[in-house]
Amino acid sequence: MKVDKTFAASVALHVLVIGWGLVSFSSKAFVSMPEDSLPVEIISADQLAKVTAGMKSGKKEVKTPLVEKVAEAKPIDDTVGKITEKAPVVTDTTPPPPPPTPVEKPVEKKPDPPKPVAESKPKEEPKPIEKKPDPPKVDPIAEALKKEEPKKPPPKPQAQAAATPPPTPPKPKPERTFDQSKIAALLDKRDPSRNAATGDTLNSNAALGLSKGKAADNSATWGAMFKSQVERCWKKPYGGIEAQMTEAIFSVKLKQDGSLETTPASISNPSTPYFRVYQESALRAIIECQPYKLPAAYFDEWKFFEPVFTERRS
Amino acid sequence: MLFRPSRRQIISGMASTGLLMGTGARTAFGQARVQITEGNVAPLPIAIPNFVAGTASDNEVGVGVAQVITNNLKRSGLFAPIDQAAFIEKVTNIDAPPQFQNWKTINAQALVTGRMTRQGDGRLKAEFRLWDVATGQQLTGQQYFTSPEYWRRIAHIISDQIYERLTGEKGYFDSRVVFVDETGAKERRVKRLALMDQDGANVRYLTRGADLVLTPRFSPSTQEITYMEFGQGDPRVYLFNIETGQREIVGNFPGMSFSPRFSPDGQRVIMSLQQGGNSNLFVMDLRSKSTTRLTDTPAIDTSPSYAPDGSRICFESDRGGKPQIYTMAATGGPAQRISFGDGSYSTPVWSPRGDYIAFTKQGGGQFAIGIMKTDGSGERILTAGYHNEGPTFAPNGRVVMFFRDPGGSGGPSLFTVDISGRNEQRVPTPGFASDPAWSPLLS
Repeated sequence: MKVDKTFAASVALHVLVIGWGLVSFSSKAFVSMPEDSLPVEIISADQLAKVTAGMKSGKKEVKTPLVEKVAEAKPIDDTVGKITEKAPVVTDTTPPPPPPTPVEKPVEKKPDPPKPVAESKPKEEPKPIEKKPDPPKVDPIAEALKKEEPKKPPPKPQAQAAATPPPTPPKPKPERTFDQSKIAALLDKRDPSRNAATGDTLNSNAALGLSKGKAADNSATWGAMFKSQVERCWKKPYGGIEAQMTEAIFSVKLKQDGSLETTPASISNPSTPYFRVYQESALRAIIECQPYKLPAAYFDEWKFFEPVFTERRS
Repeated sequence: MLFRPSRRQIISGMASTGLLMGTGARTAFGQARVQITEGNVAPLPIAIPNFVAGTASDNEVGVGVAQVITNNLKRSGLFAPIDQAAFIEKVTNIDAPPQFQNWKTINAQALVTGRMTRQGDGRLKAEFRLWDVATGQQLTGQQYFTSPEYWRRIAHIISDQIYERLTGEKGYFDSRVVFVDETGAKERRVKRLALMDQDGANVRYLTRGADLVLTPRFSPSTQEITYMEFGQGDPRVYLFNIETGQREIVGNFPGMSFSPRFSPDGQRVIMSLQQGGNSNLFVMDLRSKSTTRLTDTPAIDTSPSYAPDGSRICFESDRGGKPQIYTMAATGGPAQRISFGDGSYSTPVWSPRGDYIAFTKQGGGQFAIGIMKTDGSGERILTAGYHNEGPTFAPNGRVVMFFRDPGGSGGPSLFTVDISGRNEQRVPTPGFASDPAWSPLLS
């Protein structure tokens, strides 16, 4: 039987290339590489549709998914201006702040924050300070005080700045008295000035949704979830130099509720005392951390799997 | 040119191709694997209830043993013994398995139960069991007989058993430390050799303090100590038997002899001999009294220490200008410098585990204790300060003891630190103490 040498070389080369490809591409296929479970999710249009499809546990009366509602939420305007708003500091030595204009007036006036430069000058004088930052909104504390010593509401701040004489030395204030009935006045009654813009309220009221609704709420992989949970329980022994090559593999069977169905069986066989201790510490962690919270949609995958506890850094 | 493979060659070639494909494919059909790499290296919570008293009179020793074990494990830094006040279950019978749920509730991962019983012949019987709380398995269990005054020793042995079973490494609690006890005013210090358990208990004085003593070292048999003493003439290396109190001068050399250390088999003592302005390393066989020169340089070679297998030594030499650490074969020959950091290195000592060399490093106005691998890589400073000196390894190589002098009017005291640099602890001594040397395990 005669074979051309080039043909033989070609066969050998093919075998080599294909064999190499088989070994190097296939061996890693089923190892779930460690990945961190982060709360950031990138959602495709398809996934979004699934998430908003609804849940079987939803309330019946909510007929449709609420996502459209969120879309037309009231705009959040002027967050900055509202947050910096601050009640004037009331002390015994400062004269009582000028009571704000009545409640009805101010609402329309809010938007314009006063120019900072002009007002910053007269800072030493207590009076202007109160005028400036006072957006016409009701200041509850001031209001409470106003009731105690009634004063006529001052005219518009700008005008008064010019008109008022320089402040006289503060006249002694009446003794502070504690009035239980006024506690309510001290509460901050302002509207909350921040709203969540997006995201977490997306599906907070689960609707019954459509018949296809079936999505899991978290698209992080279950492997990373298991890893982060079991690592919290794992107190691994300190092994020094010889610890670098240890690896303990278990086969774990989980029930639907995330608890262990059987005691995990170790697949690897400990060869040194340190390896045995390492394996026991891992087993302890698996047992202690149950039940695991894993996405039910992937139950078929995580009902039977093999966690690998290792010191080998890949 | 034609190449003719036989039929057999073709078949075997095909078969090996198939095999190649097979191995590639086989790994692809496993269960999904999840890699877990980040555990916490945290102390293991362990519950150590008082040992049950076999007879009413054994109550005290039962409490004492549990306390010694608790103290040992706590000081190691690898265990977090749980306060007895938190215990739900009271162990009354160690022959029945405990109610593990009660120990799970207080987060114990391991549980030690034990019993001390005075025997008819006056001896003390000590039994213990170590349980894994999560799996409910007994990890180990032993019983010992001893005379009642050695109950502390039994507690140390049990501590070693627990340590070994839960860390995978040998323990070091059943060991002693010889050190130089210092008393009196700073100018007129009285220095005596003293011996104690590694936890500071059972202090015994070996010398009266008439002469200055330095650098005591244990022999592997733990019955003998070699040290340097300033007597009437030059300082000399002595051999001291702990049991009999006998002492003798090692060799009869013209000049000063110093910094002795035993070989791992205990048959030889390696030391420095002064020769003019220099000093060289010599090794003396204790049986035949024959002396061999190991180095011959116009420099100061000192502080030799054997590797645990006795094949190599490390020592300190200023042949390169500043004191540095060198290693060479135990029979002499060329030496390799292994320390290359800033400052000077001295008092090297080889770990009993063989993996590290501990040293004193001087530089920048500070004395630090550090370790490096035996090839000089991986240098790690464990502690640094005004004055730290004289490292010595625990028998398992996991802990380093050294002495620290804070300066001022005070005096030195002993400390231990883990080779990771964590868990620094002061060792209780009656007075000031320096120059510690850790014994091998007693049993």
